[in-house]
Amino acid sequence: MTNLSFRYGRRNPWVLSDATLVLRPGDVTEILGPNGAGKSTLLRLLAGLLRVAEGTIEDRPSVVGYAPERFPAAQPFTVAAYLRHMAAIRGADPRRIGEWTERLGMDHLMGHRLPDLSKGSAHKVGLAQALLCEPGLLILDEPFAGLDTATRAELPTIIGEVAARGGIVVASDHQGELRTLPDLRRHEVRDRTIRELPGNTAQELPGNTAHGLPGNTAHDTAGVARGVPAQGVTALNDSGHRITTQDGIRPGESSRSVTVLEVAVTTSRAEELADRLRAEGHVVRVAREAAE
Amino acid sequence: MIALIRFRLAGYARSHRAIQPLIGLLPLLAILYATPIPAGEELGAMADSAGILLPVFAWAARGLLDSEPDEQRMISIAAHRRGELLSGLIAACVFDLGLTVIAELALLARLSADPGIGAIMVGVCLHLFSVLAGVALGALTSRPVLPSPAVSSLALILGYLAILLISASGARWLTVPVMSWMKDGHHDVLLGNLPLLAVQSLIWPLVGLAAYAWLRRTRP
Repeated sequence: MTNLSFRYGRRNPWVLSDATLVLRPGDVTEILGPNGAGKSTLLRLLAGLLRVAEGTIEDRPSVVGYAPERFPAAQPFTVAAYLRHMAAIRGADPRRIGEWTERLGMDHLMGHRLPDLSKGSAHKVGLAQALLCEPGLLILDEPFAGLDTATRAELPTIIGEVAARGGIVVASDHQGELRTLPDLRRHEVRDRTIRELPGNTAQELPGNTAHGLPGNTAHDTAGVARGVPAQGVTALNDSGHRITTQDGIRPGESSRSVTVLEVAVTTSRAEELADRLRAEGHVVRVAREAAE
Repeated sequence: MIALIRFRLAGYARSHRAIQPLIGLLPLLAILYATPIPAGEELGAMADSAGILLPVFAWAARGLLDSEPDEQRMISIAAHRRGELLSGLIAACVFDLGLTVIAELALLARLSADPGIGAIMVGVCLHLFSVLAGVALGALTSRPVLPSPAVSSLALILGYLAILLISASGARWLTVPVMSWMKDGHHDVLLGNLPLLAVQSLIWPLVGLAAYAWLRRTRP
């Protein structure tokens, strides 16, 4: 992707301006950035869903799998019928449907109508249709949103397999679940440009999962960091979100010292601050605390 | 491509939207053929049918194209690029041809005399022109082009009225000559004028479909 600029209309502001991004076969790339920065737009441009205003996207793999952030569940099909249609459209072997539904833990949903599915179940259908075609380019918009624990654990493995056979995977991931993958590349979309960030934190601490999980509190976070000598903790005694960062973790550096920094921030600014810290390469976990 | 066409048709048929054009079609047929068609009026009746059913075909085409949620359209584009656009138009044509078969059968059942194969073929041709014009009008008023349902519905109705008014005026070459079909059909000059009418009836829908394809470049 070279010198790419995009806006949704002549009167609208530029979402991306003169942005360049190079992806190689086998790359797994995480797209970061605050809400509204243009992550989904970038993913759609890469998938070929939007027409580039200026610049070029070259050598896009011929088979593209796209899983949107919100799967369109308002369709008059059962899960099985929908996936059979998708397999036929993609020219995929319909026998592979069973393989993917089993791996994504959705075997029991096959007879359900799409509109009856919960958000997480519908999201699994979206992932399954994107994976059916063995994509050379797999675009995932917030792939972990709403997934159960087992599927969240399985998805990085699946993504790793796509990359291992030479596929390119690009995903936006607010939850930070992809950071368990080795050689993860990270790009931030901010101020209409794309900039590459320092690489993966492959040795990310175990259990570093999405916020909102049971027991995912600041105290638990401290527990996760057990065995890693903390250099200091700062805690602000204010209500709102508490953000804990573990700095300096790099592949092969898990035994080095880290600083666990607790920051209390008002709810409205929590996501923005978390994104900014993640963009700088820190591991961030968010724990909600009730206002006093 | 065929699988995508089948998916679009299945999605439309399984949704309640497929019934909507029938609500327009069946009462129209009931009114048009309440009494048998007198001998010698066959061509006029076929031309009337083709002209009057054009908005029904447009309504069905628009409904079919809009039955797919926006994100599903993205998934389809990721799967088939430009094939997504073509599959939608072909699926709309196929569904409209099904409506045409119903209309033709109702018409033929109410004829008082055998019209001859020539007249039947002319009737079929006029219905095909009507289907093509309906698909173009439906596509140009579908959600990717006109996101507002209110504006889209109004545009479809006004588009049909514009076709009728312009084709009844001196500048009938500026649109699909629907009024000319009917007028010539009732004055027994339709067969002689058919080649010129066919050119006009094909050009404008093709221009409309080209405009739709051009607009969809920036409106996925």
